[in-house]
Amino acid sequence: MAADELMPTHKSHRPPKSGPTMEKKSENDKKKRGVSDNKQQNPKAFSFTSAAKAKILKLHAAEKEQKRIHLPTIDRNYGDPPPFVVVVQGSPGVGKSLLIKSLVKHFTHQNVPEVRGPITIVQGSKNRIQFVECPNDINGMVDCAKVADLAILLIDGSYGFEMETFEFLNIMQVHGFPKVMGVLTHLDKFNDVKKLRKTKKRLTHRFWTEIYKGAKLFYLSGLIHGKYSKLEVDKLSCFISLSLTKFHPLKWRTSHPYVLADRIEDVSPPEKVQMDKKCERNISLYGYLRGCNLKKGMKVHIAGVGDYSLAGVTALPDPCPLPSAAKKKGLRDREKLFYAPMSGIGDLLYDKDAVYININDHLVQYSKADDEIGDPTNKGKGRDVGEDLVKSLQNTKYSVDEKLGKTFINLFGKKTISTSSERKLEEESSESGDDETEDCVMDVESSDGKTKQKNEIHGGRLRRKAIFKDEVGDSDAMGSDQDDVEGEEDVESDGDESEDEEDDSASDSQDLDEDDVQEAEDKVLGNISKWKEPLKEKGREKKPNLMQIVYGASRSSATTPLLNETHAISDDDEESDAEDFFKPKGEQSKNLGGAINVGYVNADDCSRFVNYGNLKNWKEKEDCEIIRNRFTTGDWSKAALRNQNSVPGDEGEELYGDFEDLEAENVESGTNQNKDSEVVERRLTKKLALREKFDANNPIYSEAKELGYVDKVSKCFCHLFAVVCSLYVLFQLKEELETRKQMNMLELNDLDEDTRIEVEGFRTGTYLRLEIHNVPCEMVEFFDPCHPVLIGGIDYGEDNAGYMQARLKKHRWHKKVLKTRDPIIVSIGWRRYQTVPVYAIEDRNDRHRMLKYTPEHMHCLATFWGPLVPPNTGFVAFQNLSSNQAEFRIIATSVVLEYNHQARIAKKIKLVGHPCKIKKKTAFIKDMFTSDLEIARFEGSSVRTVSGIRGHVKKAGKNMLDNNAQEGIARCTFEDQIKMSDIVFLKAWPTVEVPQFYNPLTTALQPRERTWRGMRTFWELRRQHNISIPINKDSLYKPIERKIKKFNPLVISKKLQEELPFASKPKNKPGRKRPSLDARRAVVMEPGERRALAIVQQLKLMNKVKMIKRKAKEQEKRKAYEAEKAKEEVISKKRNREERRERYRTEDKQKNKKMRRNQD
Amino acid sequence: MGKTTYKRLKGSQSFRQRLLLSTLSSTPIIIDEIRADDMIPGLLRHEMSLLRLFETVSDDCVVEVNETGTRLKYKPGIIMGGKNLVHNCALTRSMGYYLEPLLLLGLFGKKPLSIRLRGVTDDPKDPSVDTFRNASLHILKRFGVPSEGLDLKIEARGVAPEGGGEVVLTVPNVQTLTAVQWVEEGMVKRIRGWTFSARVSSDFEHSMRFAARGIFNNLLPDVHIFNDHKSGPQAGKSPGYGITLVAETIEGCYISADTTVSCGRTDETGEVDEEKQERKPAEDTGVEIASWLLQEIEKGGVVDSTHQGLLFILCALCQQDVSKVRVGPLSPYGVETLRNLKEFLGVTFSFRPDPSTSTVVLTCVGSGLVNLSRKLS
Repeated sequence: MAADELMPTHKSHRPPKSGPTMEKKSENDKKKRGVSDNKQQNPKAFSFTSAAKAKILKLHAAEKEQKRIHLPTIDRNYGDPPPFVVVVQGSPGVGKSLLIKSLVKHFTHQNVPEVRGPITIVQGSKNRIQFVECPNDINGMVDCAKVADLAILLIDGSYGFEMETFEFLNIMQVHGFPKVMGVLTHLDKFNDVKKLRKTKKRLTHRFWTEIYKGAKLFYLSGLIHGKYSKLEVDKLSCFISLSLTKFHPLKWRTSHPYVLADRIEDVSPPEKVQMDKKCERNISLYGYLRGCNLKKGMKVHIAGVGDYSLAGVTALPDPCPLPSAAKKKGLRDREKLFYAPMSGIGDLLYDKDAVYININDHLVQYSKADDEIGDPTNKGKGRDVGEDLVKSLQNTKYSVDEKLGKTFINLFGKKTISTSSERKLEEESSESGDDETEDCVMDVESSDGKTKQKNEIHGGRLRRKAIFKDEVGDSDAMGSDQDDVEGEEDVESDGDESEDEEDDSASDSQDLDEDDVQEAEDKVLGNISKWKEPLKEKGREKKPNLMQIVYGASRSSATTPLLNETHAISDDDEESDAEDFFKPKGEQSKNLGGAINVGYVNADDCSRFVNYGNLKNWKEKEDCEIIRNRFTTGDWSKAALRNQNSVPGDEGEELYGDFEDLEAENVESGTNQNKDSEVVERRLTKKLALREKFDANNPIYSEAKELGYVDKVSKCFCHLFAVVCSLYVLFQLKEELETRKQMNMLELNDLDEDTRIEVEGFRTGTYLRLEIHNVPCEMVEFFDPCHPVLIGGIDYGEDNAGYMQARLKKHRWHKKVLKTRDPIIVSIGWRRYQTVPVYAIEDRNDRHRMLKYTPEHMHCLATFWGPLVPPNTGFVAFQNLSSNQAEFRIIATSVVLEYNHQARIAKKIKLVGHPCKIKKKTAFIKDMFTSDLEIARFEGSSVRTVSGIRGHVKKAGKNMLDNNAQEGIARCTFEDQIKMSDIVFLKAWPTVEVPQFYNPLTTALQPRERTWRGMRTFWELRRQHNISIPINKDSLYKPIERKIKKFNPLVISKKLQEELPFASKPKNKPGRKRPSLDARRAVVMEPGERRALAIVQQLKLMNKVKMIKRKAKEQEKRKAYEAEKAKEEVISKKRNREERRERYRTEDKQKNKKMRRNQD
Repeated sequence: MGKTTYKRLKGSQSFRQRLLLSTLSSTPIIIDEIRADDMIPGLLRHEMSLLRLFETVSDDCVVEVNETGTRLKYKPGIIMGGKNLVHNCALTRSMGYYLEPLLLLGLFGKKPLSIRLRGVTDDPKDPSVDTFRNASLHILKRFGVPSEGLDLKIEARGVAPEGGGEVVLTVPNVQTLTAVQWVEEGMVKRIRGWTFSARVSSDFEHSMRFAARGIFNNLLPDVHIFNDHKSGPQAGKSPGYGITLVAETIEGCYISADTTVSCGRTDETGEVDEEKQERKPAEDTGVEIASWLLQEIEKGGVVDSTHQGLLFILCALCQQDVSKVRVGPLSPYGVETLRNLKEFLGVTFSFRPDPSTSTVVLTCVGSGLVNLSRKLS
């Protein structure tokens, strides 16, 4: 105890009652106890006080909800999607190439020595990525922004944002905003951690304001051995692949096909080039098709070059295909493909008729990576490299075929096989090099099945006809030959007449389904009898199917009138009704009437084809029985059968039976299709179930409505219903689109490959080779792989020029306003061109009034001439394209409202005139017009005077004025007489012409570093020629000089005087010579009076002096006071400012603290 | 660009469709050798009238015809539409000739179209106005054309040769057409008919009706034929009578047949068409047309042979989805249409004949034509 007392007492432990640890603890405690801290401190403060306010808030919320919802759009990409374009953009020297290199290294484990042109890599089992480095000039940025699916903006953290970043953002915003990711680099330049943190925060917030709050901004902290750190690249790539999964389709891009070329070849004949180096070249461009399907014969725009029609389109095997096996996580090493022909890396180049293999020492690795299928060729290294590569090449091609086969959900076993065999045939024949023969062979294949069925049913007469139509100069002997053969074939097919067409085609497919191509070909030839072989050599053994009858014949009919030949046809009359559906009815008509002939170029244009000649007698009961089931009075079940026959689902059933005797591979594919269709079905049923659920919910609303409850139920409840309903509608729409998509796929998969391309065009995601003829040689000469080559398809009417009206706003960062008729460069659709806009604003009365300059912060209308684009297309405008300009280069952003053939812009003019002669209410006005012709133009227009008297222009007043024959004097009538001193105004609205000028930017036809020069603005011209701005002297403000008016004395007429009352009458006093008595008499004051007056005078004087003194004193005082006051004010101002600053600072701190606490 | 490149065509065949598709796809065309070797060379009166009609409806289109009329240069403008338009059709063809392209043109205009056409309302060569009203407009509705604002009002009848009829056509605008899957013909549930007589006794109508009904007796009880006897200014300037029959199925298909009997019109050479010389009794006309309707029904397809062209064009103008339609044997006009569609819009159809019903199922992917002239509000 004593010891205790002796020892100094320790402070007892006092648990902390405040501070962050305590807060955490208390929170944990609360959590444990299950007390939620969500309770507001003052709940009353956040409840509604007024019903009106509550309503507004609710409306606002509902509106926000509605804004969030997008109208669902149909996705028409049916196959593998094309690689996603990732554009890496940044100001020069910020590390774009390095980032691409690091990412490529990460994805494929390969080093890229140099980044030139797009680099395609296989990133996962589902998607591929194409990296594009955005060049530093504005043209390249524009083109990149048009194709980007994801934009990575590189920002130099040590420097801060640069204008390029914001320019690029703005361009993207206008051309449809893709996904955007920011990356801060050069962060290793910061030594101070705090400063680094602050900069990061500042930049992040700035980035957010520009895009949206919470936009992703990455930090690459610095370089390790000249590379970004592996971990950070990993993370970035992870986010890239995540953000590439879901897209909101961009309107312009989904409605236009486009290709980002990753390879370009000059295919013009070398001798032509040798003869003339400046001759126009033929080029072929390679790239993935994106956007929508590309149809043959579509026109394209090459950005920076111009419009061209496609000389040829070929689908090539994918150089960078997705891995074939589906169920697998991650990629094996050899599937990490990589294709960048412009960078000179990928080792295979695919062309229309050849595959080029690049063999390089360091590329041996690739050959090892590529052996995909089947046999393990690890010993490949031991073998010849070239052989190995060729082997791998075959393998890849095989996988493409496989993939093609897999795309068929359709259950026609025959089709996949026939297409594959077709392809093989195609390859074979393509070796011969002749395109035409190639076509023919394909046709044999594709039409084989169909022809056969026709033969079976119709005895083949029809075939002869089609051939007849096809041929142009062939002899009749051919026809007789065919007849014979048809007979033969009839005999052949008689045996299995009972079989359906499907069966037949399936058996056909069995025939065709042979591994060996040669054998397959033999079979085909076997099917066709021997006699046909000579015909085949001639290359005209197309078998008729309906498609060829319709389209094939049109070619010949378009060129030569087939009048004689068509008449020659009419030899067989006894055709039954069942037959004639295989050919256009016109032919039959020729047989019967011979009046209408399809091929005749001057045929009558009549939609009706009536022939009453062969009418049946429908009064007969037997005849009626044929169509009895087409009426509701007939047998419904039989009628239902009629439609079922052609429903594709049913055919599947029949087909399944035939799959057993097909080869294993086909069975596999068949089951695959089976599975696919099952999946589709399952999905559909799921959807239907969901919908039913929704429907079950929905009737409540409709019922409530029926019963009139809705009015009674509280509005809140109603609102809820509205939300549910809108969601329901949305859901329905989405489902509709989904079913539509499924239907499209089902229908399209039904077709064989060639017809499919014919019907829907080249699908998105195919690797295409586009051949374009007669391109200026500069394009090849100045080609720079670092600049993207964008080829965009042009829709109907988009290559015609016209006036467009756009809603335009000057960019808020551009310092000057824009002047009417100053040329601007616009980037609109795929194009970039210079044009001359006229700005206008819409008045209340629908008039478009011309503006000399754009408003500073407001939208205005801009009308300009150029190739038309659909309404709702956005564009950006520039004036200066040079890269060394420090200012912001985007001058305006805008959206096209409509296009028109005329621009109805008016400007106000005010004509001023003076009367030269006045006759009662008519006046002759001079100075207003210069000629009588001009007056004739303005006849009937209204005028008014300064005093507000209104009138009209009548006619030229030349004849009325006898004395002077001066031109330009107009006779006007007014509602009242005007004065000579009046000024007459005529206000008119003449239309303003918009210059028909546009100049495409040909930046690809000159060295990229040179700035493109087009038409110059007024300002530039004036500056160059040293001309000052012309000044109209009349427009200057001058001091107004007014003459003093001298008024004559008032004279009152005598008559008037007489009538006036006496008081007002001027008194007539005769003037007198002597002044009156009052004036004359002198005043003499009394002595008393004089004294008084003197005293008063003295007093007044004294007072006056006193007042003067006082005034002076007061003045002095005030001066002093004011000086004092000014001094004080200065001081107080200073003090106040400091005080306020202090106060704000503390307030802000508190607020921040509070926010942080809330966030915690 | 700068210079317009023209598509070069030959002959007067499918003149209407060429003009229509050229306007819709805004491709300028040059047609050469229009009846160059004929007795009456060059464009005929109704073709010129059609060109005028196109000029009325659209703005800024350029039409150049050479002196002999054998060469036409047409540069399409922007389809404007608009109200209170009037067009006097040439009397050499009836209104059906003009209405067929006009219907489609109006859909893709800037403003809803409302136009008054004057001329011959019915003749045996082209579909009658009753057919348009009761069959063609229904086909349009299938493709997502709103039914309000889509109307054809017959204000006065007029038959060849003098005409004098008057109809008012109103067509709304559409943004796009929706693709259809229209393969089920369904069973005929009712047959409706319209007869008219102008400047002749209404007895003709009665006999036609009676005869036509007689044909259907075996098949369907729900047959009703309305009569429309006109006199005075509403009856036009020439005597004539006609009948239109439309069969409606449970799937909403409308199959029509019509004819008109009138005096033959004199040709430009001054000769009267030989076929028109002898006239059948009205009963025979009724029987004939009723039989023709049954024939059309027998052929199958969701539309009759006359409307095949319209159907194909509509399919081709749809969004880029798959349309599937079933038609009977292809008519020459239908084949011509298919060819023109391929030429102008690049739309190729694929065919699948259905031998059991002797019909053809046509599949196509629409061209995705969007009405671009509409203003963005």
